[in-house]
Amino acid sequence: MKSKKYITYYTIWSIAFLFLPLLFSSCVEEATYNNTPQGNFEELWKIIDEQYCFLDYKEIDWDAIHTKYKKRISANMTNDGLFEVLGDMLAELKDGHVNLYSANNVARYWKWFEDYPTNFSDSLLKNYLGTDYRIAGGIKYKILEDNIGYIYYESFTDGIGSGNLDEVLNYMAICDGLIIDVRNNGGGIITNASKLAERFTNEKVLTGYIRHKTGTAHNAFSDPYPIYLEPSNNIRWQKKVAVLTNRRSFSATNDFVNSMRILPLVTIIGDKTGGGSGLPFSSELPNGWNVRFSSSPHYAADMSQIEWGIDPDIKTDITPSDFNRGIDTIIERARAFLKE
Amino acid sequence: MRKTAALLAILIGMSGIISAQSDSLQANRYITRATTLGVGYTNILDTYLSPQEYKGIEGRVARETMRMTKLFNGNVSLQNFFQANLSYTHNNPDNNNTFAGLVNWNYGLHYQFHINDHLKLLAGGLGDFNGGFVYNLQNSNNPASAKAYANIAASGMIIYRFKIKNYQLVARYQANLPVAGVLFSPNYGQSYYEIFTLGNSDGVVKFTTLKNQPSVRQLFSLDFPVGCSKLRLNYLWDIQQSKVNQLKTHTYSHIFMVGFVRDLYLVKNKKGNPLPANVRAY
Repeated sequence: MKSKKYITYYTIWSIAFLFLPLLFSSCVEEATYNNTPQGNFEELWKIIDEQYCFLDYKEIDWDAIHTKYKKRISANMTNDGLFEVLGDMLAELKDGHVNLYSANNVARYWKWFEDYPTNFSDSLLKNYLGTDYRIAGGIKYKILEDNIGYIYYESFTDGIGSGNLDEVLNYMAICDGLIIDVRNNGGGIITNASKLAERFTNEKVLTGYIRHKTGTAHNAFSDPYPIYLEPSNNIRWQKKVAVLTNRRSFSATNDFVNSMRILPLVTIIGDKTGGGSGLPFSSELPNGWNVRFSSSPHYAADMSQIEWGIDPDIKTDITPSDFNRGIDTIIERARAFLKE
Repeated sequence: MRKTAALLAILIGMSGIISAQSDSLQANRYITRATTLGVGYTNILDTYLSPQEYKGIEGRVARETMRMTKLFNGNVSLQNFFQANLSYTHNNPDNNNTFAGLVNWNYGLHYQFHINDHLKLLAGGLGDFNGGFVYNLQNSNNPASAKAYANIAASGMIIYRFKIKNYQLVARYQANLPVAGVLFSPNYGQSYYEIFTLGNSDGVVKFTTLKNQPSVRQLFSLDFPVGCSKLRLNYLWDIQQSKVNQLKTHTYSHIFMVGFVRDLYLVKNKKGNPLPANVRAY
C-alpha cells in the first residue's frame, strides 16, 4: 500500500518535470534581421511601418517606399552609402522628429525651417537684451525701455522652477505687458512648457488631446485622451501677453504655443511654428544605429493636427531694412501690440 | 522511604522540566537561512526599448529562509526567498548599453512528501512579487521600461540528502512557475509621460497567465560542510518572459552563487519578555 503511494508520487513528479522543457519551446523572442545592409534596411522599414504614427495622416505609401529604396541597397555597399540611403528613405516622412544616428553622422529632415525665413537673429536679440539681462533657470529676462517685460526661453530642455517663475513674474509685475519669445526654441521637456503656460490661465482649460499606437497597423490608435492646462497655485500673470514664434519653434514649443493660443490674454506673433506634434520614441537597427521617430500624436483642442505647425494670430517677418538697422521687427510688433 | 519519595519527586520534577524543554523546542521554530552572492550571464529583450537583444553580466544577491509550520500535522514548510539583481548589458555591435535591475520576493508554502530518509519531494504555491527596470542609454522618450508584476506561482522541489565519506551533503532542485498574476506594461506606443503625467493609465495593468507570461525560475543548490560552517552553491536559471500589449520582453539569466547556510532556532519572545540575563548580548 505504502509502495503504491510512493509510485503515485514519483509518477506525478516525473510527469511534472517532463513538462518543463515544453516551457522553453515557448520562448518570447523578436524576429530581427541580420546585421547586413539588407537586414538593416528591412529592420528600419519595419520599425517605421509598425511604430511611426503619421503614415496615414501624411498619406505615405510605405510599401512603395520599400520598393523604391530596396533597389538602392546592395550587399557590398559601404556604411556611409547605407546611411545615405536610409536617411533619404526617412526624409520621405518629412518629419523633424525623425533621425538616424550613427557614430559619425545624424540623418535629419530640416526643411520645415530651412526653406523659410529665419525670423530670428542672436545679434538683433543682443540689441534688446544687452548684457545686463537677468537669468532664472532656463529664462533670460529684462524690462524693456517702454516698460514691456521680455522673456527669452531658448530651450525647454532647460528647467525652470516654480520659485524662478515667481521671481520673474513678480519682477515684471509693474510692466504693461509681457513678451515670451520662444523663437528658435526647438522643444525639450513638455512639463517645462506646461509649467510656464499654467502661469497665464485662471481656470482649467482643455488644450488638446494625445493618442498612442495600440498595435502595428497604421491606423491602430487609442481613443484621444484630453490634455488640460491647470492654473498654477503660485503667481499668475493677468495682463496682455505676446508669444513670439518662428519656424524653429518646434516640438514641445509647438505644444506650448498650442496651449497659450487658447488663453484670452495671449496673442501669437511672428511666423508659423515648425510643428512636430508627434512625441518621439527611439529604436535600434542590428548594426546599432539609433532611430528616432514620431510615435504618439498630439492634437489641438478641436482634434485638428498640429504636426505641420500653428499659424500666428499676427503674421510678422523680420524685414531686411529693419534687420540692417538692428531692429527685430517681430519684437517691435509685439511691443506696439502690447501698448495698444 | 522518605528518601525514596524525595528522589521520586526530584525525578518527576526533572522529567517535567525535560518534557517542558522538549515541548518548547518546536519544529516550526528551526530555521534554515542562506545568504548567497553571485554573478552570471544575462540576455535581455524589451521591445518597448529596442527589438535587439542585450547581453552581458549580472550580479545577484539572494536570501532564503525555510522552516516547518504546524499545518497538516507539521508536513508543510514555509519558504521566504528574496533576491535582487543588477545587470550591465550591451547590444550585438557593442555600441550601446542597458542597465537593468529587479527585486524579487517569493513567499509561500510547500507540502513535504518524505519518500525515504534521503529524499523529500515538495509541492506548493508561492506569492511572487517583482519590481525593477531596464534603462537604455540611447533612447529619447522611451529610455526606460519599468517592471512591476505579481504572480501566484506553482512550486516544486526535490531535496536529496546524501553522504560522500563523512561529508553530509544536501542537493536541491526547485522550479517556480507563475500560473496567474497581474503585470504593469505601457500600451504599445504609449509614453510614460502619457501614463504618469497626463494620467492615462487605461490598459496598463494586465492579467497574466502561462500564455502571456511563460516564465520559470529554476534553482539548483548544493549544501556542504566546510569546517564548522555550511556552504551553499547555487545555480539559478531564471527565465522571465512576457507578451503583453504587443510588447515582448525576456530576461534569461544563468547565475552561479555562493554563500553560507545557518540553522537557527527562533526563541519565542511574547510580550517582550527578555532572554535570561546570562545569555543576553545586550
